[in-house]
Amino acid sequence: MNYNLELIKNKRKIISFSTFLILFSLLGILFSTFNTSYRKPINLGMDFVGGNELRIERVCEEECSNLSPDFVLDNLRVISSNKNFINNIKLQFQNNNKLISIRTPYLSIEESNNLITNLDNIIGPLNYESKDSRLIGPKLGKRLLTNCVTSLLVSLFAISLYITIRFDKKYALFALLALFHDLLIVFGIFSWLGIILSVEVNSLFAVSLLTIAGYSVNDTVVIFDRIRENLKSKEEGYNETIQLSVNESFRRTTFTSITTLIPLLSIILFGSYSLFWFSLALSLGIIVGSYSSILLAPSLLLKD
Amino acid sequence: MKRRQGWLFFILFLLTLSVYLLINYPLQLGLDLQGGSQLTLQIIKEEGKVTRDELEAVNSVIDKRVNNLGVSESNLQTLGGDQLILELPGEQNPLVASRVLGKTALLEFRTQKEGTSTDLKSLQLQRFSIKELIEQYSFAEKNQNDDNFLKVIQDNLKEIEQELNYSSTNNDLYGKLIEIKKYVDKEITNLFIKTDLSGKDLINAGRRQEQTNNNWEVLLTFSNSGGEKFAEITKSIAGTNQLLAIILDGESISEASVGNQFASTGITGGSATISGNFSAENARELEVQLKGGSLPLPIEIVETNTIGALLGSKNILKSLYAAISGLIFVGIFMIFNYRILGFVSVLSLVLYGFFNLALYSLIPVTLTLPGISGLILSIGMAVDANILIFERIREELYDGNTLTRSIDSGFQRANSSIVDGHITTLLSCFVLFLLGTNFVKGFAATLGIGVLISLFTSLNCSKTILRFFTTYQSLRQKNLYLPKNNFSN
Repeated sequence: MNYNLELIKNKRKIISFSTFLILFSLLGILFSTFNTSYRKPINLGMDFVGGNELRIERVCEEECSNLSPDFVLDNLRVISSNKNFINNIKLQFQNNNKLISIRTPYLSIEESNNLITNLDNIIGPLNYESKDSRLIGPKLGKRLLTNCVTSLLVSLFAISLYITIRFDKKYALFALLALFHDLLIVFGIFSWLGIILSVEVNSLFAVSLLTIAGYSVNDTVVIFDRIRENLKSKEEGYNETIQLSVNESFRRTTFTSITTLIPLLSIILFGSYSLFWFSLALSLGIIVGSYSSILLAPSLLLKD
Repeated sequence: MKRRQGWLFFILFLLTLSVYLLINYPLQLGLDLQGGSQLTLQIIKEEGKVTRDELEAVNSVIDKRVNNLGVSESNLQTLGGDQLILELPGEQNPLVASRVLGKTALLEFRTQKEGTSTDLKSLQLQRFSIKELIEQYSFAEKNQNDDNFLKVIQDNLKEIEQELNYSSTNNDLYGKLIEIKKYVDKEITNLFIKTDLSGKDLINAGRRQEQTNNNWEVLLTFSNSGGEKFAEITKSIAGTNQLLAIILDGESISEASVGNQFASTGITGGSATISGNFSAENARELEVQLKGGSLPLPIEIVETNTIGALLGSKNILKSLYAAISGLIFVGIFMIFNYRILGFVSVLSLVLYGFFNLALYSLIPVTLTLPGISGLILSIGMAVDANILIFERIREELYDGNTLTRSIDSGFQRANSSIVDGHITTLLSCFVLFLLGTNFVKGFAATLGIGVLISLFTSLNCSKTILRFFTTYQSLRQKNLYLPKNNFSN
């Protein structure tokens, strides 16, 4: 069972492919930044900008009647005291008209409770046992964002310090390059998702980036470990030894990725919706991370 | 061999201990899994940073207030130096808690400045009219009265504004009403002079229904020195035109006169009542606030999170299914690919699971949705360590080494990669735990614990189980360790 990845032959292809992926991501980030509705490199969710999110189920005898969000909003406008904020409400029916999900700008707890009471009057009865609401103040949201960015930067710094100590500078540089490559691509894909599907990123997304960073470095370090070990003992030339080491680690890397992807895939398929995008981000990161560990990072080590 | 047997017993001992812990100390489920409310409170300080002492003081006051509210199993944590997180399991409505928590409850007793009677009377009158207007406004809102009615309120308000020589900049009518009410309250408070009696002199607060009507009043009990101060103050103004104001958070709740009969001794006995048209609920809230003491700094509720019990249990079931099915698939994958070795890894993963959960209940770690995903991810890392080792063992076997030797050097050679990988992950966990918010912390904690335990189970437990297996002659055939189609190698 010997693998034969022709790393030396395909170095140029690999690097062009990565360059393409990076450009694709940068384009998404650029579009998102200049998009009038986001004006950010990525579509920031409620966690970071503040707001109110409410999900509640209707009590229906058999099937829930079909209601249009516009109907509900029109009725809300009639009975609400603050008419302005209704224009900023996003209302959706899910789960066969049973689940109502609402997003509004930041409200006080009283206002939020009022909103539910009004909704109950319009489309009730509602099942308060299955209510799920989140209120985040705009100040707190901003703080969460800076908090997430700092944790990301500090932990990247810590990781790079560790590999610089454990390996020499060249390895550390390429491992880091592969790491940024992975993070940038996942970030870029989510910029695109934000533009196309209005997918928002929350603090779990920041967590996924950090996890991807750890995972990607881990993956690359294992292969570099192998390369270093083989360079000491094997007689073959420098480039050939690198190619051999990659092929020797290939099974391990793919198997590891598969075993990590299996539970993530099961969360995507069967888990709760709140973890859907998180698991997707991680899965993407692991796939890109495996690619960069097996193909990109070692290719960069090759001598021309 | 002896040494390994020792390890085997040690592992069995740990397993028994874990099972014991899990039975006796059940896992704590987070609010997202159990249902309830979570409030994030921000301490507000105009200048400088919130000190440790101030944080502690706010913490203890809120703790007392929550206890007085009678919510069971509430949990209060400090966060990031100037925030507090309050969890109220089972409580679906954060409104009650928010009303009680948001107030500073700074209680003061003040005496009226001399020669301010006329000013006070007109201000009291205006306060009364504004309160009426506010009531009319809520009534109009509720009954969807036409705009004419609101116009009347607006006109009345304008008159008051002119009399007060104060105009509000607020755009919203309701906002205007509240702003002017606050202004009048402040003006009234300004007509009174501070005394040295304050909420600090209270030892208890209670409430009771007034005998004459349905209103409630709040009873205050002073400490000895407080009682003396109260007697002193009441004595000084007894029989004069000066009133005694009871002021809460800068707003006067009642202004009372002290009768001439108290001129010689003041009101003694160390207690007072505040009767200011309290409803039962309002009286209870004030009681809770006063009992808990006053907050040294005001707080603001910046985040609330309410999860219905039903959605919570749906979440946990879904994620549990996901975790279990994921694990079963990983197990099948490992046994299919690595045969006996795969079976060893499944056993060591089961151990891993038990140790993990036992540590959660021991530390204790509250299990939340991000926590569960951290757990699932750390399982991935644990499997990775096993794969690294098994691949190495196979290489040694292909090189023609004996089974025992292959196993030994397989573990030895995989060691450095595993440690490197685990340390980088631990570093991120550490950073996340230190800097992260509550939400992120749960993830970092479970992932970090998982990575540490994975180091132990993959390096030690897997080895011990494997050694134990290889003591049986029937399990020592090399082909049981190599891929099926490949054992000719």
